[in-house]
Amino acid sequence: MALPFLHRWTDSDALSLGLLGVGNIGMVHLKSAVAMPAVDVVAAADARPENRARARNDGVSRTYDDYEALLDAEALDAAVVALPPFLHADAVERAAEAGVDVFVEKPLARSTAEADRLLETAREAGIAVGVDHTLRYQPDMMGVKEAYDEGGVGHVPYASITRLNDHPLGRPPAGDAPPEWPMDPEAAGGGSLVELGVHCFDVLEWLFGDLEIKDASMGRTLETEAEDAATVLMNAPETGTTITLHCGTYQWEQLPEVNTRLRLEGVTGTISNREHLPTNFYAGAATSALSNVASRFTSDEPDVFGPTFYLQAHYDALADFCDAIREGERPPVDGEDGRRTLALAETAYELAAADAAADADDPDGLEAPEVSP
Amino acid sequence: MSTASVRAAAIDAAERRGGWVPDIDARMAALQSPVRTVLEPAFEALAEADRVTLVPDAHYPFHPSSGMVTDPAVVGAIVARLERETDADVAVAGASDDRISFDRTARYLGYEGLLERFEASLADLADDSRTGDFCAIADESIALSVPNRLAEGTVVVVPSLRPTADGPVAGAMRTLDALVDCDAGPDRAPVAATRAVDPAVAVLDATTAYGGDPVAGNALFAGSAPAVDAVATTLLDRSLAADGALETARGDRGPISVAGDADFEALRARLPDGELPPADDTHPAVSTAYRVYAAVTGDAVPPQLEGDR
Repeated sequence: MALPFLHRWTDSDALSLGLLGVGNIGMVHLKSAVAMPAVDVVAAADARPENRARARNDGVSRTYDDYEALLDAEALDAAVVALPPFLHADAVERAAEAGVDVFVEKPLARSTAEADRLLETAREAGIAVGVDHTLRYQPDMMGVKEAYDEGGVGHVPYASITRLNDHPLGRPPAGDAPPEWPMDPEAAGGGSLVELGVHCFDVLEWLFGDLEIKDASMGRTLETEAEDAATVLMNAPETGTTITLHCGTYQWEQLPEVNTRLRLEGVTGTISNREHLPTNFYAGAATSALSNVASRFTSDEPDVFGPTFYLQAHYDALADFCDAIREGERPPVDGEDGRRTLALAETAYELAAADAAADADDPDGLEAPEVSP
Repeated sequence: MSTASVRAAAIDAAERRGGWVPDIDARMAALQSPVRTVLEPAFEALAEADRVTLVPDAHYPFHPSSGMVTDPAVVGAIVARLERETDADVAVAGASDDRISFDRTARYLGYEGLLERFEASLADLADDSRTGDFCAIADESIALSVPNRLAEGTVVVVPSLRPTADGPVAGAMRTLDALVDCDAGPDRAPVAATRAVDPAVAVLDATTAYGGDPVAGNALFAGSAPAVDAVATTLLDRSLAADGALETARGDRGPISVAGDADFEALRARLPDGELPPADDTHPAVSTAYRVYAAVTGDAVPPQLEGDR
């Protein structure tokens, strides 16, 4: 659907892109964008000098220590907002003032209320908002959806999804200083549910339609303010599927292995994302290498981040966003999608808090008997 | 040549499900008797102290069930014993570094909440004033700067049972060395730090050990810092002779006797002898393979796979 965006392209043939934040995920977006045809990465902003230096090493000619200075100085078509969540709304507001479309790292905002303000600002300015929900771009998830949509296991009464990693504390040996904001619910909007769970909500709605949260539980393996484990029970009325989601930031991770598991239990069998992944990283990398070498002779574009499907998904998500901006269309994963994942997370937090309060009031799980006068 | 003695105590895990009990009160209750047992030889000295500082391995907020840090329950059980039986002011100490503040580590590991049950306090030795000292090791005079709390008071060091990134065990001596500024190399600095601090006793937390994987060791060992480190080195199947600091500290001292109800050989047989994971986010072999792949294909190297973490 074409949108009545007020702002349109700069005069250049290429989409002029700025990176607001080039930390961990921002560098993935930067490298993706640099490798993207018809995208010109003109500038990057980051408060940390070492991140700006990395951006310059990767071909960005102009860097800024403040994203507002970048937006003031550069003529952009679009900006990637890869700042901590507490800066998303302000950054989108500044981008809206400059008439720049935005691709926002998840979570879109820290709350639905903040997301509403962000989206209203974008609407008034006529800028597009895309959100980096990438699970649906992963080949394993696309394989699951294809098998499911083909009716490969019949009716699916139950599905489960698990996503675990070790962000931000990491695993031994102790590495760089862990950032404070991911463990501060005020800054991040929550814990592992907004760090990882929102991705799961997005892919589940992509598969099953609207979700209803029935119950939830939050856990902490360390004495952190934010939860590092979340478990959510859901219904998908359209498909009649009961779903459990578990996500956590407590499990050590060593790339290229990632612990993301999706299972659809159907009447005639199981669809698992593991069936749609290369069983061996090296074999997958070799296949990807052969494919990309061949693409040099066929003039096809190589698959960027070919062997790492989860990072390739980030590339594809940003490429889709850029394509939509070029065409003046709504981004395929837009602000409303991002807001919906936040609404689901908020409901889960509310139910978990209510359960915790009920447990505190009645630790034995016994209801007080009614006594007749 | 004398025989160093290490006291060992098993922790009853017969009724336990799984390798880890999340309830710190339950873990502390199970540790009460083993702590009493292993501290007994040192208790006279501890009972006379005005101030006792416990130094656990709290270098980073790894989950204690990984074996990568001292279980705060072990520290809590020692604090409980000290406060019950002595009049000493008790503190649990660590130090902020350029990676993470000790307050943050201690909070995440649960020390703040734990110590609220006692009179004990938390001490960040990065904020402590320091005492200059010299220590002679093998005819070399080594300059040290020791936090006053460690230099002047009675110290109990409570290391975890795990390797360092360099290979040798973390141990009591290296746990102390992490808190002392010293201009010596890795074979002498831990020895100098240990001699300067002169801990009353070292209590090795082998409730959970890490040797490439975590294992529920369900044991405590206590003795002098070098003796306890020798026990840890043997348990993780490392060579005593290959640990330069341990060789220097022990000199020509003879064998170590381990006495108590923990089955040393059975525990040694159960513990893996592996290393810490590689420092990079990605295994170095994967990073190398990716660089070769990217050079051949012209693909980008993801920042997460560039290595140099």
